[in-house]
Amino acid sequence: MLELIDIHTFYGPVEALRGVTFEVRQGEVVCLIGNNGAGKSTALMTISGIMRPAAGDIFFEGISIKGVSPHRILRMGISQVPEGRRIFPKLTVRENLEMGAYSGRGNAASLLEKVYTLFPVLKERHKQAGGTLSGGEQQMLAIGRALMSSPKLLLLDEPSLGLAPIVTSKIFRTIREINREGVTVLLVEQNARAALKLSERGYVLENGSVSLHGRGEDLLNNELVRKAYLGE
Amino acid sequence: MFLQQVINGLTIGSVYALIALGYSMVYGILELINFAHGEIYMLGAYLGIIFLAFFTAIGLTAYNLPLALFLTLILSVVFCASYGFTIEKVAYKPLRNAPRLSPLISAIGVSIFLQNYVMLTQGATDKVFPHLFGASGFQFVSVRMTYLQLVIILTSVVLMVALRLFVRNTKMGKAMRAVAQDKTMASLVGVNVDTVISVTFIIGSGLAAVAGLMVAMYYGLVNYFIGYIAGIKAFTAAVLGGIGSIRGAVFGGILLGLVESLGGSYISSEYKDAYAFIILIIVLLVKPGGLFGRAELEKV
Ligand SMILES: Nc1ncnc2c1ncn2[C@@H]1O[C@H](COP(=O)(O)OP(=O)(O)OP(=O)(O)O)[C@@H](O)[C@H]1O
Ligand SMILES: [Mg+2]
Repeated sequence: MLELIDIHTFYGPVEALRGVTFEVRQGEVVCLIGNNGAGKSTALMTISGIMRPAAGDIFFEGISIKGVSPHRILRMGISQVPEGRRIFPKLTVRENLEMGAYSGRGNAASLLEKVYTLFPVLKERHKQAGGTLSGGEQQMLAIGRALMSSPKLLLLDEPSLGLAPIVTSKIFRTIREINREGVTVLLVEQNARAALKLSERGYVLENGSVSLHGRGEDLLNNELVRKAYLGE
Repeated sequence: MFLQQVINGLTIGSVYALIALGYSMVYGILELINFAHGEIYMLGAYLGIIFLAFFTAIGLTAYNLPLALFLTLILSVVFCASYGFTIEKVAYKPLRNAPRLSPLISAIGVSIFLQNYVMLTQGATDKVFPHLFGASGFQFVSVRMTYLQLVIILTSVVLMVALRLFVRNTKMGKAMRAVAQDKTMASLVGVNVDTVISVTFIIGSGLAAVAGLMVAMYYGLVNYFIGYIAGIKAFTAAVLGGIGSIRGAVFGGILLGLVESLGGSYISSEYKDAYAFIILIIVLLVKPGGLFGRAELEKV
């Protein structure tokens, strides 16, 4: 469904991605783990079209999306929950969700109902400014907003960052639920254990390229992964 | 006397507010002080004279004055909006990822270019806007208000209310607010940021055109330099209210008009142009973000 082939992405002179290759198949949950600065967020931003790769190619459902504008990529069905959630702070919860439906993919009214069912707290707070929500609520809003475009592929960048364990497990349960309803998921996580448990397959990103990949379970049992990312 | 000055202040203040909106909206979205904005207002005044002269020449003005004025207004707005659109595409868009100073310098360049372009094509001397209404008006108690003043105030109020409704309730208005808050996130939800920026320039320039035309009618004189002073004052009004805030631009403009008018008659009219800046300094000392703004002004 999604295929990155030898992607190189730069910030000015800094080469953040040095030939990244991986794929996500229809219906999967795939996770991308790696240390701070490994290039995980850059990979997601490159997929979404915010960053333009200098070399390599990206295919989504067989079509090259390299150099395509972000708003077109969203319309093709790739939605991102970015690192730090990036809620529109001065828009209300409801307006944030409406912005998620901006592209007009899917029926906004029924998508809104779905999101409210998934996260009832958002319905309670629909008139509140997005910036006044708690961290956990903002994460729910960010996921809800991404779902409002009825994506085929959902990119999640560290959804558990800074959240209490209870909220984290709620978020992970929700991700599984979203995936069961047919949305393919590419998950970036610091919380490697939870992410690998949830994922069919995982990739380890190191210094801007993939150093290891395999099935979620296998990576959980892999010596190197256990040492470097599971703190054992 | 006092009420009379309030009326005069409201009139000129609502014009400042219309121009200030353009500064504020563009700043809100691009964090750019569009120094060429005053020139759009000046072009609006000149285009008004040109189109009205055309309608007079073909006899429409004598036949149906309101229609001639209305068409003049529409044409000035359309032309100024296309100037605003083009300026953004030519002078600012290529510099969007450049250091902050570059688009600012580009804006000053556009401003100087437009002033000289108008001076060369229209002459350096004042142009007269034909007196259409005379001084007709009405009196209540001790206050006289001309019809033109009433038209200026009403037009401004209608435009500002319309703008507010647009920004609050329409899909494009919400996209504008989203882009102002986080451009990257706005494009991640599918907003074409370039389109939103263009729309912002088009709306701001259209409002400036209306302001230019109304001021040309009010004062009756126009020259290639009027955009400079009006631009600085409207920019002051925008900062006064809190740049980036629509409400702030409106209140800042009206406050400025009132201060000028009252200060001009009660203190001294010699310093009329200085009051604006005195108020600005006071507000910035007390509330650095402006009356309605966020306290992020160090970005300027
Ligand atoms: N805006 C930027 N300008 C310059 N360099 C950047 C920028 N953003 C990221 N980088 C660099 O690119 C590299 C990859 O960063 P990236 O944010 O993709 O890492 P990450 O894997 O998401 O890290 P984290 O786990 O901390 O979120 C890092 O070396 C970082 O310093
Ligand atoms: Mg990151």
